[in-house]
Amino acid sequence: MPAGPPEPGARRRLPGNLLAGAALVLVIAAAALVGPWVAPFPYDEFHIRDRLKAPDAVYWFGTDEYGRDVFSRVLAGSRISLFMGVAATAVSLFCGVALGLTAGFFRGRIDEWLMRLMDLLMSFPPVILGLLILAVTPPSLWKTVLAVGIVYIPAIVRVTRSVTLELAQEEFILAARARGENAGYILFREILPNAWPPIIVEASLRVTFAILLGAALSFLGMGAQPPSSDWGLMISEARSYLDQAWWMAVFPGLVMCLTVVGINLLGDGLREWLDPRLRHGGA
Amino acid sequence: MASPPSPPLLEIEGLCVSYATAGGTLRALSGVSFRLQPGEALGLAGESGSGKSTVALALLGLLGPEAALSARRLRFGGRDLLSLSPEERRRLRGGAMAIVFQDPFTALNPSLPVGRQVAEPMVFHRGLAESEALAAAIGLLHQVGIPRPEVVARSYPHQLSGGMQQRALIATALAAEPELLILDEPTTALDVTIEAQILDLLESLRRSRRLSILFISHNLGVIHRLCDSVCILYAGEVCETGPTKAVFRDPAHPYTRGLLASLPRLALGSRKRLSPIPGTLPDLEKPPPGCLFHPRCPYGDKRCGEQSPLLSSPGPERSVRCWKAQEIRGVAWEEAAGGNGRPAARGDEPADQAVAPLVIVRDLRKRYRLGGFWDALVWEKPGGQGWPRPAWEPKFLRALDGVSLAIAAGEVLGLVGESGCGKTTLGRTILRLIDPDGGEIVIDGRAIARAPERELRPVRRAAQIVFQNPDSSLNPRKTVGEIIGRPLERFRIASGAGLRRRVGELLDMVRLAPSYASRYPHQLSGGEKQRVGIARALATSPRFLVCDEAVSALDVSVQAAVLNLLEDLRRELGLAFLFITHDLSVVAHLAHRVMVMYRGGICEEGTIAQVLRPPFHPYTEALLSAVPRIDGERARIRLREEGPAPEFAGRGCRFQGRCPRLLGEICRTVAPPVLEPLPGHRILCHHRLETLAAVASPIADEAPPPGA
Repeated sequence: MPAGPPEPGARRRLPGNLLAGAALVLVIAAAALVGPWVAPFPYDEFHIRDRLKAPDAVYWFGTDEYGRDVFSRVLAGSRISLFMGVAATAVSLFCGVALGLTAGFFRGRIDEWLMRLMDLLMSFPPVILGLLILAVTPPSLWKTVLAVGIVYIPAIVRVTRSVTLELAQEEFILAARARGENAGYILFREILPNAWPPIIVEASLRVTFAILLGAALSFLGMGAQPPSSDWGLMISEARSYLDQAWWMAVFPGLVMCLTVVGINLLGDGLREWLDPRLRHGGA
Repeated sequence: MASPPSPPLLEIEGLCVSYATAGGTLRALSGVSFRLQPGEALGLAGESGSGKSTVALALLGLLGPEAALSARRLRFGGRDLLSLSPEERRRLRGGAMAIVFQDPFTALNPSLPVGRQVAEPMVFHRGLAESEALAAAIGLLHQVGIPRPEVVARSYPHQLSGGMQQRALIATALAAEPELLILDEPTTALDVTIEAQILDLLESLRRSRRLSILFISHNLGVIHRLCDSVCILYAGEVCETGPTKAVFRDPAHPYTRGLLASLPRLALGSRKRLSPIPGTLPDLEKPPPGCLFHPRCPYGDKRCGEQSPLLSSPGPERSVRCWKAQEIRGVAWEEAAGGNGRPAARGDEPADQAVAPLVIVRDLRKRYRLGGFWDALVWEKPGGQGWPRPAWEPKFLRALDGVSLAIAAGEVLGLVGESGCGKTTLGRTILRLIDPDGGEIVIDGRAIARAPERELRPVRRAAQIVFQNPDSSLNPRKTVGEIIGRPLERFRIASGAGLRRRVGELLDMVRLAPSYASRYPHQLSGGEKQRVGIARALATSPRFLVCDEAVSALDVSVQAAVLNLLEDLRRELGLAFLFITHDLSVVAHLAHRVMVMYRGGICEEGTIAQVLRPPFHPYTEALLSAVPRIDGERARIRLREEGPAPEFAGRGCRFQGRCPRLLGEICRTVAPPVLEPLPGHRILCHHRLETLAAVASPIADEAPPPGA
């Protein structure tokens, strides 16, 4: 549309989903940070007389089979779950973006080898691949993070590669080559800033997947170790009590769900906000 | 013109379309009125954003729910379109009223055979059985000039060339026997020789079927060629209507005059500096008071800024929306626009050939393998007997097949040819954006054809490129200042405050305000983006500039401004240009010398005056006669469209597949000799010079465009 260009420096309006997502994520992250000090009970304290109590004024989210306070355990679990999600995604982002840019820009044999390697990684079910990486050594949290990170590298590589392939055809890349720019400048200064939006969306999706996969690995005994709490671990422990104590599974599940929604909103909002084309309400 | 007593097929009065936006109401169309007689062809012209396509979509009822539509009268074939139910509108659409869209490459369904797609409307609108419809479809394909229609009907769209696809689309539109055919920029995506064939087809269909045509185009030449009457739109308003010939001979509205003054002309002897229309389209959310065009109008006065002008009639069957239409008769646009009519002294100051050329290219070659590794593997029996043996025989596309050229400082070399002829490959290979397979490139005394990238640095600084697509040539994440500043940084020409000052100077050089440095590309119009692209190329003070279709994507008024700018820069800085374009008029306007390229090779070259006059290479002749123009037309030569012809195998003349003057076997087997009628004018053809010189020139030598 022929509308006159908006004045530069016009007020940046934060997208609504960015605000909502950021608020949700902030609340949950804050809860994870201050959890141990605000929790009404230590997360591993047994109250044998109050086993499997429904939510009430004392135990807000009820208690589990040992009488441990579910609310306190959810708070404590948020630390491990969030750390798992964010750190694992950072690992896959770091490796995935570098590999994706390389494959998409240089094409040819490098591309072929890298992509076949990614196919190999993808052909394993995530949990099996995670187990494979973890099984050889004694379990510990950082190894779980690494394993989950590696599992999700192919997804990031594929997204990065496909945007890079597209962007490499643009005339501004040719213009950069006509100035004799080196590959590093073209990749990181010309292509990457334009490739961020889909990568950020993919990454925010991966955070939630990573939380879930971390939970699954915890359940299998390869992640968080009892008695420490983790949302995934809590849900799996609650499995056998579902008919007597729904709250044991519902509350950690609900918080996990809120986290996932919050992170996705945040990712979407970031994408909109970072894109100068969408920022000023222009075309 | 159609006979007056018959009732009009289409009547539009006071058509308004508006959209509710965050900032208020956007008036896409305000009070558009025109009528169309049966068998008449009406051209709807205007630049992008003028609302041409909105009219078509409104007629078809395809505007979507967010558009608010109103009209005093919207009648088609005696029926009121506004009172029809959605179902009745749907039956009308593709039935009595059919549309052909711009891009044939996306308008056909890639997964259905062409015949089925042509037959489908006949099944739906005329109730034919599948087999009957398919037979009728083959008949239609034949009617739109497709050879071997039975075969084409079974083919898929990707197997057809662009022109064939557009013909198939027209056949689809004709399938339901419409009374009105709406064509939205039907030839814009096609080469000029193909465009000429499609226009011929439309003309004959109109005659044979008494079809009414609503022809939407930004190309005034095409409208002049096909349409009885024309309706010029500006910012959603009709500013002038009337018989095409009369309007173009004696335009009454300042906007029409501005459009005509912006057009580069093909004819020799009428070369003047172009007079672009200043400014841009108004913001349709906050339209200016009074006449919508007055902020850009050189004739405007106080009243124009206060009262909207009414339609008046300056002649029979004509109307114009301007207060001053009577007063300004005889005052040429150039005069009013401020003494820009000085002739471009281009042809009179030939570049000094005595000095050593700045750019020399000798026998440049580049070929691409077609298909992958396995496609090249064939099984053959040696001597036709015994066991078949594998052999690797790749097929090649010769994108550049021994091209040589030289460009002096201050000279513009035009390179013309149709899409796919290798002109873009040539431009990019000269700058070593593509590595050549063979040949020499010398720029500014340095041989660079095989030099490694690190040795190219001085050449990268001295030779730059301007691209075709303003939307793709600027990084959307960088500000204009960053984009123009980067070459300065990279070649350590300036930094800090000096860099900012130099960016300001460069912006000034391309006539943009310094404040643009902080804007992002999406905040600029197409013409402004193209100027930024030029400023970036100029940042290193290059001596040689490749312009690859640099003005093709722009509206004529903007194109004129950019052409003037390039001409000024050439004069001021003594730049050498390789100007690549498919548009012969632009080359005729700007270039000193021209090379005509066909399938990877040059078939004619010479100064602009030599190439535009006989003797012609048959391909040049066909190209020239195909250009739709607003100033007279002579002979018409039409080229056969190439079917899925085998690639030029390197034997004989490369133009043999389509040559209208084919001599016979010699053209297929022997490479044509170089004819040199005048020094510097070279033609590759087997014909004798006298034969080539005897043809009538398809363009007039002198074509004074009166009124424009």
